[in-house]
Amino acid sequence: MMYDSDDALDRALFALPLEEPPGELRGSILTATAYRPAPPFSLWEVIAIGAISAVTLWLVILVALGGGALFVNTLAAIARTMATGLSNVMVLGWLGAGAATALWLSLFTSSQSAVMLRQRFEAGRGR
Amino acid sequence: MTNSPADGELVTMTLHGHPEAFATLVERYDRAVYHLAYRTLQNVEDARDATQEAFFKAFRSLRTFKPGAKFSTWIFAIVYHASCDRLDRRKRFSNEELPERADATPGPEQQAIDLDQARRLRTAIDQLPEKYRTVITLYHLQGRQYDEIAEVLGLPMGTVKTHLFRAKEQLRRLLGSTEVTES
Repeated sequence: MMYDSDDALDRALFALPLEEPPGELRGSILTATAYRPAPPFSLWEVIAIGAISAVTLWLVILVALGGGALFVNTLAAIARTMATGLSNVMVLGWLGAGAATALWLSLFTSSQSAVMLRQRFEAGRGR
Repeated sequence: MTNSPADGELVTMTLHGHPEAFATLVERYDRAVYHLAYRTLQNVEDARDATQEAFFKAFRSLRTFKPGAKFSTWIFAIVYHASCDRLDRRKRFSNEELPERADATPGPEQQAIDLDQARRLRTAIDQLPEKYRTVITLYHLQGRQYDEIAEVLGLPMGTVKTHLFRAKEQLRRLLGSTEVTES
């Protein structure tokens, strides 16, 4: 067949079937992306576990090195510092403002649009 | 009328903690993405790896996807760059210049099959130089949206139109000649 005009060539090009991908390709893409198993811990959980482990280790070393008195004194110093901080109105105010902002953001930015989109998505898939 | 969500909405859902929405994007585009990779690389293994890499990169960097942009253009650009990287690596590891048809030599059985129109066209596309092959493949995938082809390739629109004109010219010459070479 001759393709003398642009239109004839365009028609032939647009009618050309796409290459058939290897059978397992879609599965391997989905396994690596959408259906990838969730990690056992989130980033914040890893940070929290790391911090708790470090503090525990530090306390164990304190006890091992200095005996009970040093351990008790250290805990008392930590408790004193926290109590001083939490009795300060400014500190409490900033903590409250931070918590309220986080709550407000989570309520008004993610949940509403995500729920609507999810409903449409599920309706579309159900067809 | 179908109520399936638009690509942009699927991206938003994925970003809002519903990764299964990305599966729909994969189902929509994996064939076209593979087609572009295969036409560029002319090798099944490389095309498969480039397609996987493109979707993986897209999934990881979904936050950088600009709202309002076309997902197809974005994923085509990713797979095109992944394919170019592979071509570069191939060139680096082989001292020879890349053959015009790197891996498209059909086996004896394949040669025995009668050439139909689509097959002849494919073969002719395979014989084009790489820059023309890619532009004609994107033209096939995206139609006359020259601006999007230009965006995928990172070329000025004028260059895309010139490449396309020359690609079609060469295609016509190849298809009009007595027989498309099936070496």
